[in-house]
Amino acid sequence: MLIIGCGNAQRGDDAAGIMAANRLRLLGVSAQICCGEPSELIEMWKDADDVIVIDAVITGASTGSVHVWDARRPLKLGKSLGFTHGLGPAEAIELSRTLGSLPGNIRVFGIEGWSFALGSEVSPSVAKGVELVIQEIFRELNKQS
Amino acid sequence: MSRRGTRTIKIDTLARVEGEGALYIKMAGDRVADVKLKIYEPPRMFEAFLRGRHCSEAPDITARICGICPIAYQMSALHAIERALGIQIDPAVRLLRRLFYCGEWIESHVLHVYMLHAPDFLGYQDVIEMAKDHRPLVEKALRLKKIGNRIIQLMGGREIHPISAAVGGFYKTPSRHQLRELRGDLEWALETSLETVRWTSSLPFPDFEQDYEFVALRHSGEYPLNEGRLVSNRGLDIDAAEYEDCFAELHVKHSNALHSVVRGRGSYLVGPLARFNLNFDKLPEVARKAAIDVGLRPPVKNVFRSIVVRAVELVFACREALGLIDQYEPPNTPRAEAPNRTGVGQAITEAPRGILYHRYALDERGLIVTAKIIPPTSQNQRRIEDDLREYAAYLYACPLEEATWKCEQAVRCYDPCISCATHFLKVVVEREPNSWS
Repeated sequence: MLIIGCGNAQRGDDAAGIMAANRLRLLGVSAQICCGEPSELIEMWKDADDVIVIDAVITGASTGSVHVWDARRPLKLGKSLGFTHGLGPAEAIELSRTLGSLPGNIRVFGIEGWSFALGSEVSPSVAKGVELVIQEIFRELNKQS
Repeated sequence: MSRRGTRTIKIDTLARVEGEGALYIKMAGDRVADVKLKIYEPPRMFEAFLRGRHCSEAPDITARICGICPIAYQMSALHAIERALGIQIDPAVRLLRRLFYCGEWIESHVLHVYMLHAPDFLGYQDVIEMAKDHRPLVEKALRLKKIGNRIIQLMGGREIHPISAAVGGFYKTPSRHQLRELRGDLEWALETSLETVRWTSSLPFPDFEQDYEFVALRHSGEYPLNEGRLVSNRGLDIDAAEYEDCFAELHVKHSNALHSVVRGRGSYLVGPLARFNLNFDKLPEVARKAAIDVGLRPPVKNVFRSIVVRAVELVFACREALGLIDQYEPPNTPRAEAPNRTGVGQAITEAPRGILYHRYALDERGLIVTAKIIPPTSQNQRRIEDDLREYAAYLYACPLEEATWKCEQAVRCYDPCISCATHFLKVVVEREPNSWS
């Protein structure tokens, strides 16, 4: 399983994916970190069969809520905001799908963010959401082993 | 269609640019009554973050201003700080810095040409739609971008916010063997860049030319990246230390990002068009020939043709990288000594989008007392508004939806990295009664 935490550590709740990846590494689970730029993501998962992408999202749900999307089906997501030139993980997935390079199994764990201001801290609710994601990933790993 | 009618073009979110903002254009008949490029992300605080930090931290801190051009920020910071400290760098370090910058130009220009700008000319909403019909093109772009990223990763330790650039040089320098391993990919990239020039030159361009003051670095011996004097096509020829004497930053009510002007004159244009027009003779022969073969010679005054100019600069960056790799011998020490001292230093380097100015004042401990950072997109903002004022008038006869789309495209010609200034664009079209639909 390839686990990729996406985000920007300088922008508050946008660090959620990076926070999750760092927590997993501390717990002995291999996880990569990426800013979310599509060419980098597509390169990272090109030889992987089973991928989890963790990122902050905005859906209007309560802060810290965890969403899980099966990205084998087209994602009905809005435009990526705050990513380099408006191309982020959502676009990476759809571009990869169009190019026929999408991994066989790919899921997105989205943690509802609230504050993305430059220099702000991660919201306590988002930090709790990160822990929920960690727990869910461990459940996945235990199932597989 | 009534010539007496008014309409307003408002775009809530400008797609395929970096940053958040809004574009507002109000038209009265065939006359543009108002143009506002509204930038509404909170002002960057980096100039304040830097105060009190040791100057050695500036490259790593400023690199975080932008995810697509971190090296530009590092280079401008390093050159300014080294000037303040009176440091001369090893020629091998100078070579490595140019190579580092070539990596960034490649990945940034490829991203813009293929994924952000090309969809406009081909009639697609985005690169995902474009990839459905032009899969080989997009796959080629991803491979090209990866080559630029590879240079950055090799030299910088990682692709985003690289960590090896330091005051006086690098924390770690690559071996000749490591650089030579890039040759094969760069040779492919050079050929692909030449194809890119030919392909982009065939795209349909509106006939829109303006009388710009182009501003760019100029160096006596090379196409500019890190060094040179600041020149323009209207007689400017200054050292970086004179920048603030000749340019002013103005606050405008509708934007968090300051507008730059040439004192006593007004807006100006930085970036690929400016570099190309002011340094055509310094391009390597393969790049000059590629431009001439597609009918591109200075002065290029149509900002929509910047996509072709970026392709020519791709050719330059690939050719330059190959040459630098062949010349490279590792320095005796990767980093010169940098004793603390009081000083003030300014530097301008050529980010992919244009000149990036840094100034630092240091105290006797090497701590930053003040910092000033003026990104290229800030400098182009007023020029973007001036262009839209003229271009929107051309679009008077277009249906509103088409005019809105075309205005958004016009902004993308500048490849604005508004996160360096602030963030995204929303374009909103306002229509008043009695205007045509």
